[in-house]
Amino acid sequence: MNFKIDTYSLDGGVPVIKLEGEVDVYTAPQLKQQMISMLEAGTRQMVIDLTNVEYFDSTALGVLIGGLKRIRERDGNLALICPSPRIRRVFEITGLDKIFDIYSSADEAKTGIEIIR
Amino acid sequence: MEAQGEPVVVELKIPCKPEYVGVARLAILGVASRMRFSYDQVEDVRLAVGEACTTAVEWGAKNKRDNTDIVVRSSISNDKLMIDVIDGAGQRQETPAEQDSIEPESLGALLITLLVDEVTVTPLNGGTHVKMVKYAG
Repeated sequence: MNFKIDTYSLDGGVPVIKLEGEVDVYTAPQLKQQMISMLEAGTRQMVIDLTNVEYFDSTALGVLIGGLKRIRERDGNLALICPSPRIRRVFEITGLDKIFDIYSSADEAKTGIEIIR
Repeated sequence: MEAQGEPVVVELKIPCKPEYVGVARLAILGVASRMRFSYDQVEDVRLAVGEACTTAVEWGAKNKRDNTDIVVRSSISNDKLMIDVIDGAGQRQETPAEQDSIEPESLGALLITLLVDEVTVTPLNGGTHVKMVKYAG
């Protein structure tokens, strides 16, 4: 299956979930589980890196929406790194680009994210 | 793929399970890439077929009928691609609460209407037939 999930940290310790490949009905549950684990461990600021994602559908969008809702209930925030115009287009045509903070690179995300201390 | 007269048909049958939706996407990518579509249009078709198959998989799971198949039939003409996605995943009956929520299935339906030029959804006996048309050029 063309999908990988990994984690790393931005400067300041903000955790990033890095996705690769295709995020769809089959693979999106792994993203959901990772997000839930991090929330349960107390994470209130999270970034999802979609740099190497080549397919992102409504199931994946639904997981992000659910994650955003849960993290905002904890006064936290979720941001996305999405340099690919093609993946960004999925957010734009559904209007979800107005709901999520979407950055074009990790550097942009670093300067754009408000660090919650 | 230049088609004169009768449309050329490419048909694929996949199990109604999440792990096979990617196979249908790959097949439709192969079909659409050979037509006079722009890069964005090919991607639209791939996403629309992915969404239609995903909806079938989700209803199959909900209706406990995931032991069925999804047929994806592409009819290729010079000026358009017609795609029929036919499943035996049972009836699609939303509860009133489901109708109001921003659930992935509603997003999927929204995406399909935005990605293709025409879409019709017809209930069948024990399943659903989604017909999508994308005009080329």
